[in-house]
Amino acid sequence: MTLILHGLPPLHWALAGIGIAGVTLALLLLANRRLGISTGFEDICSLALPAPYFKRAAVVSGRGWRLPMLAGLVLGGFLSAVLGGGWEPTWALGMFDTAVGWGPVGKLAWMFVGGLFTGFGTRLAGGCTSGHGIFGLANLELPSLISTISFMAAGIVTTQIIYRVVFPLVGQ
Amino acid sequence: MTRLYLALGTVFGFILSRSGAADYDFIQGMFLFSEFQLYGIIAVAVLVTAPGIWLIKQRGRTILGRPVSIDLKPLHRGNVAGGVMFGIGWSIAGMCPGPILVNIGEGKIYALAAFAGALVGAGLLGSLYPTLQRPFALPPLKVGTGEG
Repeated sequence: MTLILHGLPPLHWALAGIGIAGVTLALLLLANRRLGISTGFEDICSLALPAPYFKRAAVVSGRGWRLPMLAGLVLGGFLSAVLGGGWEPTWALGMFDTAVGWGPVGKLAWMFVGGLFTGFGTRLAGGCTSGHGIFGLANLELPSLISTISFMAAGIVTTQIIYRVVFPLVGQ
Repeated sequence: MTRLYLALGTVFGFILSRSGAADYDFIQGMFLFSEFQLYGIIAVAVLVTAPGIWLIKQRGRTILGRPVSIDLKPLHRGNVAGGVMFGIGWSIAGMCPGPILVNIGEGKIYALAAFAGALVGAGLLGSLYPTLQRPFALPPLKVGTGEG
């Protein structure tokens, strides 16, 4: 399988895993920071929303490092596209285009719903794939094990329903 | 330090982009059990990070000599309920939080809608926190559900 991005071949999984571990450990060793991306959504919300939840010290004090890191994620994706064949806006969505086939408006609605569940769910769970799945598991934290099992199981069930029942993939 | 975080985020984003971790098809392939890629990435990342964290905790100090202290995430009912909701969202969008930003950088227009949804979702959780606190046995507001 190749990436949707210019049909590029993916990095070897072991290399990618080591790279992600390197970033995680560098954050801790250089700056005493625990990897976690989803709290960055709260940091952005805290710039605009007055709810007491967003005025907490944990949120406000994290903005100084999480917001630059989030900007880096966008930049990393941009550089990957530029170096991998050029940057251009695209609606390409791989197997969604093949099996579901909705146009731009449908995709925006679909993605908004996915984002809504992701934003609410990660913050209710207290972390996402990075904070619970990578750092929390690596630090042997029970809440992270429980959360990771929960989101992996729910993801498996949801995708199985979408691509094996509702929009079955032909020939797979 | 801002430049350090920007640089680490850029490296992280590049790896997510090129490994399949920010790719809709690879995420669905993971959940369909038809692609090993993401399982390999997560397993290696955890297995390499674990002894690294242990060593850094043994050392007890950052490179700059400041103490290392890791805030542990609290245990509450939101771990399961929020985890299930996130899993549904990850499957639908094919992106978890980091990759939403990576896909925006790559030029995937629909990722902007996922980003908007995620901000609304996080905004709702924060605004409803006092209401959700009892049913989900969440920690006091100033602690929160867990950073990261």
